[in-house]
Amino acid sequence: MQKEPEILSFDALVVGGGIAGGETALNLANNGYKVALVEKELSIGGKMILLSKVFPTLDCAACITTPKVSEISRHPNISIFTETDVHSIEKLGEKNFEARVTRRPRYVVEADCTACQLCEEACPVVVRDEYQYNLVGRKAAFIPFSICSPKVAAIDIDNCTLCGACEKVCPPGCIDFTQKPREYVLKAKTTIVATGFKLFDPLKISRYSYGSAKNVITSMQMERQLAPTRPFHTILRPGDGKVPDKLAYVLCAGSRDDSVGNPICSQICCMYSIKQAQLLMGALPMADITIYYIDIRAFGKGYDEFYEQAVSMGVRFVKGKIGKITEKPNGNLSLRYEDIATGKLKEADHDMVVLSVGVTANAEAGNLFEGKKLELDVLNYVAQPSPLLSPSKTNIEGVFVAGTATGPKDIPDSILSAGAAAGEAISYLNQ
Amino acid sequence: MAKKSAKILVFSTEKISDPAIDMAGLLKLHYPPQVYTIAMRCSSSIKPKWILRAFDKGFDGVFIAADGSDCAYGESCTEKTGHLVEQTHNLMKERSIDPARLRMAAICSVCSESFVKQVKSFNEYLLKSQE
Amino acid sequence: MQHETMKKKLGIYICACGGNISDYVDIEKVKEAIKDEDAVILAKTTMFACGDTNQKDMDADIKANDLSGVVVASCSPKLHLTTFRNVSERAGLNPYTYVHANIREQASWAHSDDKTGATEKAIQIVKAAIAKARLAEALNPITIKSERSVAVVGAGVAGMKAALSLAGMNDKVYLIEKSKEIGGKLKTMDVISPEKQSGSDLLKQLEAEISNNSRIELFTETILTESSGSIGNFTLKLNTPTGNCEVTVGSVLLATGFDTYTPEEGEFGYLSHSNVITLPEFKAILQNSSGKQLVVNEKEINSVAFIYCVGSRQVKGDNKHCSRFCCTAAMQTSLDASDKFSHLQCYHFTRGTRSYGKQELIYKATNDKGDIYVQFPDKKPPVVETSGDKLSVKAVDLLLEKREHEAEVDLVVLVTGMVPDKDETIGNIFKLPKGRDHFFNEIHMKLRPVETVIDGVTIAGACQGPKNVAESVNSAIAAATKAHSIIAKGELQLEPIVAYVDKETCNWCNACTDACPFSAISPIDFKDKKVAEISKSNCKGCGMCLPVCPSDSIELISFTNKEMESMIDVLAQ
Repeated sequence: MQKEPEILSFDALVVGGGIAGGETALNLANNGYKVALVEKELSIGGKMILLSKVFPTLDCAACITTPKVSEISRHPNISIFTETDVHSIEKLGEKNFEARVTRRPRYVVEADCTACQLCEEACPVVVRDEYQYNLVGRKAAFIPFSICSPKVAAIDIDNCTLCGACEKVCPPGCIDFTQKPREYVLKAKTTIVATGFKLFDPLKISRYSYGSAKNVITSMQMERQLAPTRPFHTILRPGDGKVPDKLAYVLCAGSRDDSVGNPICSQICCMYSIKQAQLLMGALPMADITIYYIDIRAFGKGYDEFYEQAVSMGVRFVKGKIGKITEKPNGNLSLRYEDIATGKLKEADHDMVVLSVGVTANAEAGNLFEGKKLELDVLNYVAQPSPLLSPSKTNIEGVFVAGTATGPKDIPDSILSAGAAAGEAISYLNQ
Repeated sequence: MAKKSAKILVFSTEKISDPAIDMAGLLKLHYPPQVYTIAMRCSSSIKPKWILRAFDKGFDGVFIAADGSDCAYGESCTEKTGHLVEQTHNLMKERSIDPARLRMAAICSVCSESFVKQVKSFNEYLLKSQE
Repeated sequence: MQHETMKKKLGIYICACGGNISDYVDIEKVKEAIKDEDAVILAKTTMFACGDTNQKDMDADIKANDLSGVVVASCSPKLHLTTFRNVSERAGLNPYTYVHANIREQASWAHSDDKTGATEKAIQIVKAAIAKARLAEALNPITIKSERSVAVVGAGVAGMKAALSLAGMNDKVYLIEKSKEIGGKLKTMDVISPEKQSGSDLLKQLEAEISNNSRIELFTETILTESSGSIGNFTLKLNTPTGNCEVTVGSVLLATGFDTYTPEEGEFGYLSHSNVITLPEFKAILQNSSGKQLVVNEKEINSVAFIYCVGSRQVKGDNKHCSRFCCTAAMQTSLDASDKFSHLQCYHFTRGTRSYGKQELIYKATNDKGDIYVQFPDKKPPVVETSGDKLSVKAVDLLLEKREHEAEVDLVVLVTGMVPDKDETIGNIFKLPKGRDHFFNEIHMKLRPVETVIDGVTIAGACQGPKNVAESVNSAIAAATKAHSIIAKGELQLEPIVAYVDKETCNWCNACTDACPFSAISPIDFKDKKVAEISKSNCKGCGMCLPVCPSDSIELISFTNKEMESMIDVLAQ
């Protein structure tokens, strides 16, 4: 271990390198402020960089995210700390914050790696690929995904057998198993929390058979199948690799549901499901797609028109909450639901089911601060003491919040809130 | 099977009609593929000699997707674009070129459907007149 | 203009856009077709041209091959022209030697029904871009001084908050409001959900902050009549109660708000029955009501029916958009009404509730208090019937096997949506484009959500689209941050796309001066004659002077005869 942590000073500390944190960092950096951007994953870009296309314009998510990520990564005023855990942030006084963070070793010398992927080919260990939401495997020596930033290999040390195969093939010889965690003290005058959200875990609803029925997947898994950097080059059901032709979307999987502790609406699932349905109609023109919903919440600019477009394209919308999903011997799925239109209990047969999983709070934000804690609301989102007039202020003066850390949001609202958080932070720095 | 289409040069404008043409693509509103676009700053900046050159070099038609009253550079745009079209029509007549091979319509920044309708009907006219 | 002697060395990149282009355009074929074009020394295809990896490759290619110009064939220039200009610049090239070719919106997507046609078109588009790149000149941006001040137009909640936010970032603000009082529609809001704060309390707080802030100069009862100049230096003419005046600002932030939809006479019985009122009217009545019994128009009110989507999501009318705030607003009003008058029975006739996010808890609360929800079909709106003093609402209920549901009520509240401001003055002054919903349009919902195509003009609040108070404030502060970034440095760099005159061939005739909307052209003496000269800082590069010159002596940078003709020639092939 190193003896003393390295001390670095910035104007602003941004916790979370998703699209909200990144946008906040860019707004601050473009106004001349020095920013430390801390991200726990191996790449910045958050969840958005993994999406296929975005509603309601159907721009590809990568086309919007990658240039932003690229701008962030080369901005002279932004220092990025990926694979970094925040232990504590302490407010020592006004405009005086101190964060203790640890950068985990990647076991690859970042500056020398050329992303040639030879280590990946050589590595004999195959594990589930979390960046493809477990649809396929990856190696223990790997590049997270093709548009990640930084585009540098990493060794998954928990699964590595230390066989040394990667070391032997690496052309610049940049694999280094002697790397140790590096400790830093990041001093900053303001802190912005952009810790994002967590996807609802569908295992909590056992009657939906996620995990046991092979052809029940989550919407994020479908998102990966539709993305340009997709694992397969078509849409496949995981059970047997068959191209599905009768798909169902189950909306409100883990949202508007007291029984799983998430009474609120996740705000994005209707729209992303409608988007996926439109994309699927392009990818699988012969497929039938049914969306089972409670209410269609197409509330944003151009969203209702986008919903109408899906209706006119032939996506079937059925008002009804799915009670139970049962796997049949041929891998197909039987969905039991109450058809609201007729008031009757019905069964429907589909060959693939997508659970439109909701948004839940990332409660880790509550443990970031030492001394005065960052206050969370009853649903574990970061509390907004003045939601109407200063939505990005928190209970700690000088600490601001951006993106979905305060509750479900779509991408345009996350980006607006990042602009607002940056503005409030600049005003605080000017006080 | 490829459909026959006339060769059309579209003068669009960077801020008004080109976004509408982009949106036509985004919405997959198809139109004949031999329609090519050059984006100008403003539709009243097109020199008649460029239009004549397009006919000389083999274009069947020229379509000006004009700013109309939305022009960011002032309302005189409509009148000025109209004037240059009129001037070019006269020059075309002098050269025995059918003046109907130059068309103009105001295309606002969200007029994607109107754009597609216009170029489709222009294409049909041009194909018919060649028969 | 010495460049012609030196032969260009061009690098061409053709983007697959992860399938968006390559699914319809055969990009390998495009590469083959253009790789031997004159001056092209490098041609590549790439999965994502805009991705970091490709940007690094471009940088390396430019340096290794000593390229003097680059063409990227990818999406619309509105998205990534600047991205690739910056790549060129970082690699040591002048950014204006970069030329963009749009083969996504105008080839792969527009002709996704015809792959051969799309590919052929893409080839021609790239060839035309190469022709332009061969001639593209190195240009230097024009630097101008910028006023460190912002005009905020409209002093509703978004405008007030934007002004305070700008002042907090040390910028001078002129806050311009046409009414006598500031606050917009905030004062009519009794309780703002879900925070249960009253609009008038919020307004008092904001008013105090504004009047105590020395950086904010407030103009009430003031009409903005004219704007001249552009980003960095807008001169605004104001008509104030004490006379006319002018202010000069670096940027303009528009927060002109919305109008509430006014139902037509007879629409759900509006105006034909006195106890059919709109949601804002009901809120105003509630605000002023107390005691045990709610009375409207001398009638005791014990039951209320809310009819949703009045003026929004219209099947027949022009307002196709969802007004976003109104489902929750109606539910909150129902809660507020029952707080004051606990015996009220409320019915909600909806087209599906849209209490998104945490607002779902408000919906839950109305259910818990016993409100009854009826969902009517999109194309079969409820019918309001009156017989004498009695009011009833009848609808087919999708929640109850499409059975007809009739509720006899004492009051019908029409949940009216947001429509664009009927006063179009400000939009016309700045020539702001509108979206399909007729609200002001942002450049890009995700990349540049508060900017407009008019450089230096940002938009905030409900003039961009329906929003609740919290959302308006969020967008207001975001717009303030953007406006601040525009002006904070005190200087701006402008695109050097301006017109210039060939003095040898010009025989001053005044035609260009007449055509120029910016008074940028004036005569000067040259040799023995008068010739026109165009001021670089006043010229906006519109090119209106080009076709009017009888001697064809005017050229517009980057749209010169040579460039235009070479592109036309290539496209005609």
